[in-house]
Amino acid sequence: MINVQGISKRYGSIKALNDLDFSINERSCFGLVGPNGAGKSTFMKILVGVIDRFDGDIQVFNQSVKKDQLAVKRCIGYVPQDICLEETLTANDNLTYFGRLYGLSGEHLRNRIRVVLEQIGLSERAHDKISKFSGGMKRRLNIGCAILHEPSVIVLDEPTVGIDPQSRHSIFSLISELKELGSTIIYSSHYMEEVEQICDSVGFIDKGKLVEHGTMKQVLDKHRNAAIFVAKDGMVTEELTAYGDVMQTDAGFFINCADPLSTMGIMIEHFRENGITPERLELSQTRLEDIFFQLTGLRLRDNG
Amino acid sequence: MWAITLTELKKNAQDKGLWFWTFILPIVFIVGFIAIFSGGEEMDTQALVTQIVPGYTVMFSFFIMISIVIAFVKERDGGMVARIASTPLPINRYFIGKWIPFMLIVIIQIIVLFSFGVLVYDLPLGDPLSLIVLSFVLAFLSTSWGMAMAVLVKTENMGIALTQIIALGGAMLGGLWMPLDMMPAFIQATAKFLPQFWALDGYKNILLEGGTIMDIWLSILILLSFGLIGAIIAFVSYPRFLRQSKS
Repeated sequence: MINVQGISKRYGSIKALNDLDFSINERSCFGLVGPNGAGKSTFMKILVGVIDRFDGDIQVFNQSVKKDQLAVKRCIGYVPQDICLEETLTANDNLTYFGRLYGLSGEHLRNRIRVVLEQIGLSERAHDKISKFSGGMKRRLNIGCAILHEPSVIVLDEPTVGIDPQSRHSIFSLISELKELGSTIIYSSHYMEEVEQICDSVGFIDKGKLVEHGTMKQVLDKHRNAAIFVAKDGMVTEELTAYGDVMQTDAGFFINCADPLSTMGIMIEHFRENGITPERLELSQTRLEDIFFQLTGLRLRDNG
Repeated sequence: MWAITLTELKKNAQDKGLWFWTFILPIVFIVGFIAIFSGGEEMDTQALVTQIVPGYTVMFSFFIMISIVIAFVKERDGGMVARIASTPLPINRYFIGKWIPFMLIVIIQIIVLFSFGVLVYDLPLGDPLSLIVLSFVLAFLSTSWGMAMAVLVKTENMGIALTQIIALGGAMLGGLWMPLDMMPAFIQATAKFLPQFWALDGYKNILLEGGTIMDIWLSILILLSFGLIGAIIAFVSYPRFLRQSKS
């Protein structure tokens, strides 16, 4: 269990984190989402021991990031947003480098490198300089360097930025595999569909505050707001007002009502009787992205 | 710590710019300036060689600061500093691990340039122990200033500009380019406040007068003191540097 206890951090007059208090279950995959400058990276830097001046504490499996910093660092694998690899060296050299930084050596290190290269799908390219690698390959190696020492907690800060769908799929498979092997994952991303797909719990952070958190099901249920979506050329709002509150968009009409499923049945019956064939008629479920906008607003956040 | 040292050595061995600043350019300067000055009658050949070879060796040893600044700024801006800070490696070991390769490079540079002087210009070497001790102290000084500058500067360009001022300004005022007695009195007085002067003074004492450790103790003490100032600034400023690092 990771217990975040009253974490606050100031940069001059700016409060980057404001009394964060929550917990992350062991062997879970926790998604941390928020707009730019919300405080995600500051939180991650505190957790992995890069920032050591802050208020509050984090207990990682009963060890304090303040008092037992080295022990906590040994059980965490950090995948930063930037690709932190030595460009002039080979994949094997990079893994050796990070393995040694975590205290691995000899046969154990060589075995771990072999296993990790297979996990990240780079066994064939082990002895190639990474300056020749694609963005996706570098991202996978970036993860490889963080899991070499078999950490029980893996912190991933936007690990899929700027890569192709195949590499993204490969990274998701790797995260699932790590979760099955018993690791606790903390995953930060701007891609809401990714978080919804791979995380089982989620926390929304905005302006340094945790504005919502819970299991994915709890959060989605709490903010559930199913609607009916219908699209047809020439259709006007007045034809639909009998079914609920209608909102017209460029693509079609959203109808908010108390019981969308039954209402949709009534609509289908009505359309059939009147020979109306809509181009699209579907139930529109609330997605994580909708909740994100609900909680953080639509205003642009450009302050890094 | 050794993982950092070995990786840094591997990276530096592949850095063509470092080869140029460290070995090629100094040799070109030594050859060029000995050719220019050997035409005059002011200095005999041995005096010329014992001025130019150690003088330019001292001057170019300070150019290691450029490589140190580039290495640190790149790692700070690329997120590597924060990444390494997330590992269990203590900060001081990271720092020393990065430092050792640059010190080794300066020592190799001194060996190469002095060997070139011996082979091509018959440079006298003097007491080997004194030479080794003075060279280690010089390497400590130039790299500790490089480490201090690396953690203080905001950009690579700022570091490169300051290195030029320290290396070229110190060389000019410290008497590395020509014997101090050929320069105005105020420069001769200023030179005594510069480590470059004391490094060259130590080398000349060993090469020309057969000086031993006891004869160059003041040079060693002054260079060590300057080096310690750089090292203390570097260690004290490192936490701030870490806070500036991208993650």
